[in-house]
Amino acid sequence: MKSNSKHIIIKRLKLVVIYIFLSIVALTCVFPLLWMVGSSLKTQATVFSDTSLFPAQPEWRNYYLAWTKGEFSIYFLNSIFYTTFVVFGIILISSLAAFGFSRLKFPGSNFLFYMFLAAMMIPLPGSFVPLYVLVNNIRKLLIEFLANISPQLMNFFPASFVQQSTAFIQHQAFPRFAYIFCMINVGLSLSIYILKTFFDKMPKELEDAARIDGCNKLGIWRHVAIPLARPAIAVITIFNALNVWNEYILAQLILSTKDTMPLQRGLIVFQGMHVTDYPLLMAGMTMTAIPILIIYLIFQKHIIKGITAGAVVG
Amino acid sequence: MQKSKIQNPKSKLNLNIKSPKKIFNNLSLGFYYSFVIGVLAFVILLSGCSVQEGSVSSEAKVTIRGWHWMTDREEAFDELVRQYEEKTGVRVKFELYAPSDAYTQKVRAAAQAGTLPDIFGLLGEKRDFSSFVIAGHVANLNEEMLKDESAWKNRFFSRAIAVSEFLSGNEFNVEPGVYGVPLDVMNIQMLYNKDLLKEAGIRKPPKTWDQFLAMGPKLKAAGIHGFVSGWGEMWMIDCFASNYAFNIMGEEKVMDTIRGEVSYTDTDWIEVFNLFKEMRDAGFLYSGIVTMVNKTAEQLFSNEKSAFSFNGSWCVNVYSGMNPDLNYGVMLPPKKGKFPMKIWGGAGSSFLVNNRSLFKKETIEFLKWLSDDAQQTYLAEVTKNLPANKNSIGKLSPVLSGFVKAMEDTTHPNIWPVHEFPRVIEAFDKGIQAIIIGEKSPAEIALEVQKVKEKELKKKRR
Repeated sequence: MKSNSKHIIIKRLKLVVIYIFLSIVALTCVFPLLWMVGSSLKTQATVFSDTSLFPAQPEWRNYYLAWTKGEFSIYFLNSIFYTTFVVFGIILISSLAAFGFSRLKFPGSNFLFYMFLAAMMIPLPGSFVPLYVLVNNIRKLLIEFLANISPQLMNFFPASFVQQSTAFIQHQAFPRFAYIFCMINVGLSLSIYILKTFFDKMPKELEDAARIDGCNKLGIWRHVAIPLARPAIAVITIFNALNVWNEYILAQLILSTKDTMPLQRGLIVFQGMHVTDYPLLMAGMTMTAIPILIIYLIFQKHIIKGITAGAVVG
Repeated sequence: MQKSKIQNPKSKLNLNIKSPKKIFNNLSLGFYYSFVIGVLAFVILLSGCSVQEGSVSSEAKVTIRGWHWMTDREEAFDELVRQYEEKTGVRVKFELYAPSDAYTQKVRAAAQAGTLPDIFGLLGEKRDFSSFVIAGHVANLNEEMLKDESAWKNRFFSRAIAVSEFLSGNEFNVEPGVYGVPLDVMNIQMLYNKDLLKEAGIRKPPKTWDQFLAMGPKLKAAGIHGFVSGWGEMWMIDCFASNYAFNIMGEEKVMDTIRGEVSYTDTDWIEVFNLFKEMRDAGFLYSGIVTMVNKTAEQLFSNEKSAFSFNGSWCVNVYSGMNPDLNYGVMLPPKKGKFPMKIWGGAGSSFLVNNRSLFKKETIEFLKWLSDDAQQTYLAEVTKNLPANKNSIGKLSPVLSGFVKAMEDTTHPNIWPVHEFPRVIEAFDKGIQAIIIGEKSPAEIALEVQKVKEKELKKKRR
């Protein structure tokens, strides 16, 4: 009886220690977020002197100021546009590629797969200049092509419409899609790796059953592999959405006008060369974090499933 | 709807997989339609934004493009280019790319691709600057600067021009000339908190090093920290030490040391190192100063945690944001030696003209206008930076005026005829940090720096 109660006490003590440790870890994760929200409600003068986490007189106006001063409305739309297209593109291409690497045996498949893996090792800044030069050369070709076809188009459409359309392609459509393709390229390696690991574990019997039902290879990918890989796709979605949402350096390199820039462009307004407007910066950061938190909450269940099912096992 | 229920025996995943053929027939295309419609709506929305740009660019006679990294000057530039377009009809379109690292990446990539804009700026050392000039990316403005008895050049503080100027026989083999238009200038001096000095019973800021050291005990007795600076950023230590090197041994001897003709173990250099020991011994230095970044030092000084600080003219802008009521003044570092005190300073930011610009003439005209008295006064007022134009200093605040007064006493390693080896600079700065924390003596550090110097000289001779 005595040894039993001793055992219970030890077990409870262990639990208490574990919970204390986990609470400390959780606090260190949550604290920066709380600090960000707290600072977003202070003034530039009190942000350095008021040590409280939540100010007594919160400056809710900072959010309005950050939104208007940072011109967040257009940047928000842009970021949603880029994130949607890039994530969609990555899922489409990486799932096809991963399915191919996993299920189709063709000469050099391993070599190609390792080439993709090797691409993961190249840091993004290392490819800045070649990417920029490539995009710029394609832009030159496009401009040349548009200049050549414009006279013919003017025979069918009003000149102003042709001019506006070519200007739109040059200044809006091309840089946006160039950025989207670059970002898809950036996210492909890891996504292919995650999905291939997942597809490798998919039982062959499922494929056979689908084939009996009349599926060809593409059909198996669409109706068997993709539904099965939902947890892995959720992991890819959250990883890449986060990556695109927070990306700015490549955007700055490829996009040349303010109205095509993503959300991060709004934040730099508050970071001067020597002076940083911390309350507005924190308000802006809080606002930019919200969509990504929502995405995380939506996919949370799948992410846990994906991780436990081996989506990100090495 | 027919469904074939497939059970995965290994992973125990239960799946409801629809029969593919039927699915294709029954596929609800609603989502795809709405997706396509959504995308089209977005493109139309964007085209709405772009139509304006396209039409304007087709109507405008000349559009000058410029890139900059100065986030705090974006609104001021927008206002100035609006005025310029109203006046001349020439459109200037500035794009901001920040932070400075990302901006530098963009400029380097654009230089390689040959897509630099008409106006741009360069961040970095003079060596990088020279490579851009040699590659033919930067226009030589000498002819324009010297026109009408150097009317344009004479507008600026000489130090502001020096940063963008290559003299004949320069070590980079660049064709002599002025290659940039300075926008603002900066220098680094000492700041003192008037209220804290008063509290400690000190009536006047110190003029000499001895007066300065004597204030240490008084401040300590009043419970006030003496001196704070971002000496975790080594260039700031280098800057402070360099001021006193010029003051104690004179410019000639400093240059001779860099040339390798004078040893760092010379008594004058040991005296320079010793200043840091004296500050430590007098209890002047804020604890943790050797690892402190300048942002933290700025916070501490603006929150009245220290009586003195060593900072650049940009601090006026910083302190006004952090503590608008801060009552402080600016002074040259208190003198120790017999030679003139030379502080670090020069052009803060400069604009360069793309040598391959289609609108080179128009771009130069715009920069002439931008650097004219009225525009420079406006920029100084709005951004609280020191103007590069000497005639625009009339309306500055007392602290900014204090900074401006010392503009002609400034120097900068970028304009020195010789440059120290990076390894020597590192040993020098780290050595001073070791003195401050009491790890080594000034004589020991002098010896260590000299050893590194000799090693580097040997390498160079090879």
